[in-house]
Amino acid sequence: MSDETDATSTAERTTGGREVIYYPCKYVPAELLAGLGADVRPVTFEAGSFEEADRLAHPNLCGYGKSLLSFAMRPDVHAVVLTSCCDVIRRVYDVLADADVLDFLWMVDLPHKGGPAETKRFRRELARLSEAYAEHTGTPFDIGRAVAAFPEIPRRRDDRVSVVGAHAPASLLETTSAEMTLPLENVTCTGGRLVTAPPPELGRAPRDVDERAACDACEVGQDEAPTSLDTFLDWYAPVLLDQLPCMRMNDVSGRRSLLGAPGQKGVIYHTMKFCDYYGFEYAEAAKEADIPMLKVETDGTSQSAGQLRTRLKAFDETLRGVAGGHLPLRKGSDDGHTYVMGVDSGSTTTDAVIMDGRDRIVASVIVATGARATAGATKAVECVLEKAGLTEHDLALRVATGYGRDAIPDMDATITEITCHAAGAHFLAPDARTVIDIGGQDSKVIHLAEDGSVVNFVMNDKCAAGTGRFLEMMARTMEMPLDEFCRCGLDWKHEVRISNMCTVFAESEVVSLVADDTPIADIIHGLDMSVASKTAALAKRVHAEPAYLMTGGVANNDGVVAALGDVLGSPVATHEDSQLCGAIGAALLGLDSIEGR
Amino acid sequence: MADDTKPGIRILDRFGSIMDGIDETDPDTARFWLTMAFQIKRWQTRHLPDRGELPSGNIGARLALEGVTDALEDPDNAVITSIFLPNEIFHAMGLKPVMAEAISDFLTGARSEAGFVAAAEQRGVPETYCSFHKILIGAAETGVLVKPHLIANASVACDANNITFKWLAKSLGSEHVYVDVPYEQGDDSIRYVADQLRELAHVTEETFGRRLDLDVLKEYVTRSQATLDAMVRTLPLRHGRYLANDMGLEMQQALALFLMLGLPDAERMVHQMEEDYKSARRYDGLSLVWVHAAPYFSVPLQKVLDRTETAQIIASDMGFAQVSLDGWSYGPDHPFEAMAERLVRNSFNGPATRRIDRIRELAERTQADGVVVFCHWGCKETLGASQLMKRDLEAAGFPTLVLDGDGCNRANCPDGQVATRMGAFIEMLQAQRAEEAGA
Repeated sequence: MSDETDATSTAERTTGGREVIYYPCKYVPAELLAGLGADVRPVTFEAGSFEEADRLAHPNLCGYGKSLLSFAMRPDVHAVVLTSCCDVIRRVYDVLADADVLDFLWMVDLPHKGGPAETKRFRRELARLSEAYAEHTGTPFDIGRAVAAFPEIPRRRDDRVSVVGAHAPASLLETTSAEMTLPLENVTCTGGRLVTAPPPELGRAPRDVDERAACDACEVGQDEAPTSLDTFLDWYAPVLLDQLPCMRMNDVSGRRSLLGAPGQKGVIYHTMKFCDYYGFEYAEAAKEADIPMLKVETDGTSQSAGQLRTRLKAFDETLRGVAGGHLPLRKGSDDGHTYVMGVDSGSTTTDAVIMDGRDRIVASVIVATGARATAGATKAVECVLEKAGLTEHDLALRVATGYGRDAIPDMDATITEITCHAAGAHFLAPDARTVIDIGGQDSKVIHLAEDGSVVNFVMNDKCAAGTGRFLEMMARTMEMPLDEFCRCGLDWKHEVRISNMCTVFAESEVVSLVADDTPIADIIHGLDMSVASKTAALAKRVHAEPAYLMTGGVANNDGVVAALGDVLGSPVATHEDSQLCGAIGAALLGLDSIEGR
Repeated sequence: MADDTKPGIRILDRFGSIMDGIDETDPDTARFWLTMAFQIKRWQTRHLPDRGELPSGNIGARLALEGVTDALEDPDNAVITSIFLPNEIFHAMGLKPVMAEAISDFLTGARSEAGFVAAAEQRGVPETYCSFHKILIGAAETGVLVKPHLIANASVACDANNITFKWLAKSLGSEHVYVDVPYEQGDDSIRYVADQLRELAHVTEETFGRRLDLDVLKEYVTRSQATLDAMVRTLPLRHGRYLANDMGLEMQQALALFLMLGLPDAERMVHQMEEDYKSARRYDGLSLVWVHAAPYFSVPLQKVLDRTETAQIIASDMGFAQVSLDGWSYGPDHPFEAMAERLVRNSFNGPATRRIDRIRELAERTQADGVVVFCHWGCKETLGASQLMKRDLEAAGFPTLVLDGDGCNRANCPDGQVATRMGAFIEMLQAQRAEEAGA
């Protein structure tokens, strides 16, 4: 089965005799092309592999550009219209023009400004396209068809979550839609096409045939008589250019209306690797916008679904303001006590905790997850029950969290580890306002309110950099046991900078340093500092503040904890039960959901 | 870590290491040390010229350094610009334009790029962003770059130009002018850009309280065209001659041409090139055309390209982006149109085929042995066209290496990978030459 995601997977050459034109950019004159007889459709194709695009262009281009390139090279795609919107799309045009595989390929030069001179230029560009396309098909412009092609503009005021930023791949929209309780609105670079509807009189403009007949009759002013295309373009060019601007336009002040619009309850801000524009808008928006916002970065492919789902679900939990509402209780223990179990299924260990109705830990265990999350969780549940001297029937609730939460059998509820870590951290260290959790597979920073609820959170993106895995790989490179590696970093004497956080490049830097006889403790400190810097950058994104509590497996690495304190300018605390933080939070949230507590 | 060995680099290195780590907390001290380092380097270029370089090389090194340091030391009269934006308007008003790329290149020269890159990324600048722009933003955000009264940029040559300068102007509170350059090469585009340059001149007058003397502007434009035409004349002179250059000098001469174009010094430098190349000694090593910026700090590349008998850069496409190979449509009598023509017809504007044609012309006129397409980190304009460049240039008889790296951030320019690829390319060219000699 193909792993390509695509609303345009069955590309068509023609529909009802009309040529199908595909386009990526909202500034492409779709209604004009419809007036010229085309069936115009946006490209939503998501390539399963970038092999072809990498070969024809370069791997370090944005995923949407590469998907577009692959799509346009398909034999069932025959007409594509682009704009000169960004570096990548301009180069996609160059590669496609060179490949010469399309019946019709055109690029509209899109101004960066929106003044009268630019509108005039843009109108001229549209006229050039009209002429070329009419010549290509032999179909004259029909203003009625053009006017009929304008979509109804939905002015939404309903409660919703908006996806803003760079083009959202179909897989991202699908996953997001599945995880959000509220309906989704796509106002990304390619999703927010909102062209004002034409005035009624435009549709009543005289057709060219009538005009010609009239002009033939009077034989005067034949050259001056405006065609219906002229009339249409006079109105259309400024309207098309005046859409809510994308980030490549010089004046983007109109984009402020995207954040905090009526009914908007939250924003998922999407940035794409190797797209320059939207990271800048997010940086500003994160500082200024007064609306819950989650940043998601993808490379334009269906990325690590587990990690993305966790973030989206946690965001949904934040928006709803509750972990999961009231959960259906089991019968529970006959001894009058309420027992709730929390299970945190992580990539390295599975932790289980049983707490009673007075928020006391009755028993806890940490077991290795092993190759299968289900087996690790079953073992953890058995062990913690045994340790507590309880049976399954004594439990009023079982709450799962962590990556493997959906795979654990017989659970009553699942809650993301973000929400659980926040609750667990607040329990372990009530003063903590920021939780820094660095595990084997990911790192996250959670900014807490005084009551322990989540204000904001951020996770690293699809990369081992800044995680426990990174440090494990470096320890392996240096042929040291992990515990020795953790201790050794504290004995550094001289600052060594590891400039690259990419695991592969950092490894070659470490190898070079070892070859130069750089003291091992200094190298390890350099690595600790690089993880600390990466984490501090994450912390900055959520406006983290002291007191800091560090959880996750890397909390046992004293070198990283010390380095983090240095970089953040404030001590970073750990807790002896910090590894149980997620499981404790799951149990506590379970207890909180019990009515009457 | 690379170990740069050239004396000039060592001077900046020393001070770069002193300021490393203090830029965030104490921008004034960081700026002091940087200025001090550049002043010493400037003194060196004036009074202890590098004897290994040709006279034109020494002029180029001095002009690039003075262009940057003069502006940084006099922020009240400085204008931060983008590469390719015509500078004659500013020069004619006695102002000191300095390009973003030049500032970043010099901060890299002082080995301080890592701190500025980190500072920018911590403020949300994408890690995949062009390092030249990232370093500049980092310098501004840490307070090391002092606010100029005016920031002006053109849309050519890349998306980063649409973001960085607007961001800087907002962050620093400077006046900002943006010049949009159409993709098409026609006269309409030239006139449209010329009108924007007139507006730029007007804003500059208002911002600095000065008047632009059109006759002075015409003088500068006259010299600009003469300088660029002389550059074209140097191309055939380079073939088979030892240019005594290195990657750093190649970049400095290109920077000097951007920063100082229109000034007598820039014209003098190019005329000196003509003189130098005519009398330069014979060179039997390989000659390469370099595409995009050269990572002058890369030791493996230094070992191959910097004043060696193995290979030399015979021309770079950045140094020849502004020239016209077939004359100018507008002369100095229409100074705004003449500057606009240079911008519109810049080989970095428009479809990739224009840039490829320019690179091929450079290779043909210098009779180069091969081409290196340097894919600078984050430069999608070059990256996206790199395979087209390779195929077309090889079809024209010029073996081409597509080399990934970074023109100003050491972290993205891994020595091992660069060394292997460049080494293999050189071996391949040498084998081809030996084969041709034996045939």
